[in-house]
Amino acid sequence: MAREIALVTGASSGIGEALARRLARDGLHLGLVARRAERLEALATELHAAYSIEADVLPADLTKSGAVAGLVSELGSRGLDVDWLVNNAGFGTLGRFDTLPLDRELDQVALNVEALVELTGRLLPPMVRRGRGVVMNLASIGAYTPTPNMATYTATKAFVLSFSEAVAVELAGTGVRMLCVCPGVTRTEFQDRANVETGHVPSFLQQSAEQVADEAVRAVGHRPVVVNGLLNRVGVGLLKFVPHPLLTRAAAGFIRAREG
Amino acid sequence: MAEQVVLVTGASSGIGEALARRIARDGHPLVLTARRLDRLEALARELESAHGVHAVAIASDLGQPGGPAALVDEIARRDLAVDWLVNNAGFGTAGRFDRLPVERELAEIRLNVKAPVELTGRLLPAMVRRGRGVVMNVASMAGFGPMPFSATYAATKAFLLSFSEALAVELSGTGVHLVCVCPGFTRTEFQEKAKIDVSALPSFAWMSAETVADQAVRAARKSGVLVNGTMNNLTTVFMRLAPRSLVARVAASGMRGQV
Repeated sequence: MAREIALVTGASSGIGEALARRLARDGLHLGLVARRAERLEALATELHAAYSIEADVLPADLTKSGAVAGLVSELGSRGLDVDWLVNNAGFGTLGRFDTLPLDRELDQVALNVEALVELTGRLLPPMVRRGRGVVMNLASIGAYTPTPNMATYTATKAFVLSFSEAVAVELAGTGVRMLCVCPGVTRTEFQDRANVETGHVPSFLQQSAEQVADEAVRAVGHRPVVVNGLLNRVGVGLLKFVPHPLLTRAAAGFIRAREG
Repeated sequence: MAEQVVLVTGASSGIGEALARRIARDGHPLVLTARRLDRLEALARELESAHGVHAVAIASDLGQPGGPAALVDEIARRDLAVDWLVNNAGFGTAGRFDRLPVERELAEIRLNVKAPVELTGRLLPAMVRRGRGVVMNVASMAGFGPMPFSATYAATKAFLLSFSEALAVELSGTGVHLVCVCPGFTRTEFQEKAKIDVSALPSFAWMSAETVADQAVRAARKSGVLVNGTMNNLTTVFMRLAPRSLVARVAASGMRGQV
């Protein structure tokens, strides 16, 4: 007998972990995907104890060719049906594109774009057949603003936003809901990995991963996109009217590398 | 000293071919690449005799992992230096995403997104060192808003548009220009490959590949986004300012008759 689960990628920390906790609290069984198996094991044990849900650990490096197909196949072998897909795994880099290691830029596309599209492509048809399901794609407020020194990252998020909004319209009437989540500056490991300084961003403009997760889950079925944080939402609405070249240059000033 | 050349991807037909012709007319030596070597070689011979420019045909499959690197290596092996990169190769797919073969959607991402990122990454540093160069990315009006029933295609163009705009600012002061060309409906093989029925579209909605290429080459002198055609320009203003959900719905109603 197949078990229905919420599959969360990048579940070992940050927003992915917060979403896994939030969904477990709501009583969903989980599939946790990330590279760091020990973290996933610890999280699975904790959530099982706290909420009596089953949490399957599925370690994978989704930047590798064949990893997504392998993951989907493993889900099949374990009798797990995904009725809630959270495409959260992703990362960013900081710096002038021509100075950055190219492999890492391409890995960003592999994870933030290709793995997301492939997982959605493989797991959406069964949801449509069952007439229910949720796909939640993590983009970023950067989807709205090309950001110099984070060119690849914000471009991958522009992809995710456009893709998600389009598929959300396509799925009307199928019973399957698509949500694109666009967090602003959030307190997670993202900044460490990207070496981005966010200390200059006032704390009232920053959110916790828990806040982002909570807003996201509550937005499902109500709208196709949620920009997290009231001030971020207002900002995105106003920024539409700023000419793009000006907006892009202004965004450059916002992003700073960490000292040392 | 290596010969400085213009590299045009997807040069065997459509906008790529038109760009190659237009650039040759201005007297620039060219490297033409695509999968169809016979077409490339015919074009190269034609351009050499018509415009007296050195034109080299190199077959490549930029949608394959290793394709872009192999192309760059071959160009270096022939002692050529790219000072103008035209990332044009790309294709579209149409239909409801959940009904489309996922492998083709992934191939579309590899060609429309990964190849331009990789080619830019491999060729830009040398341009910056020399203090001059052009990277010209052929995106599309579809990059300005979501397109239901062509979700992946529009998203790949949204990527390219965003990427180009950010890079243009990064490169200011380096002497290297980043131009993003956004055509609307253009008469090429695109619609046939994507299996879109466009017979109902009025003729004034179309541009020729030659016009797109001419405008693009004139715009190469400075960084920026070029939307081809006055009507298309007005449309993209709407796409930027209107709520994205409205843009998506308008695009959807346009596509429903064509897929």
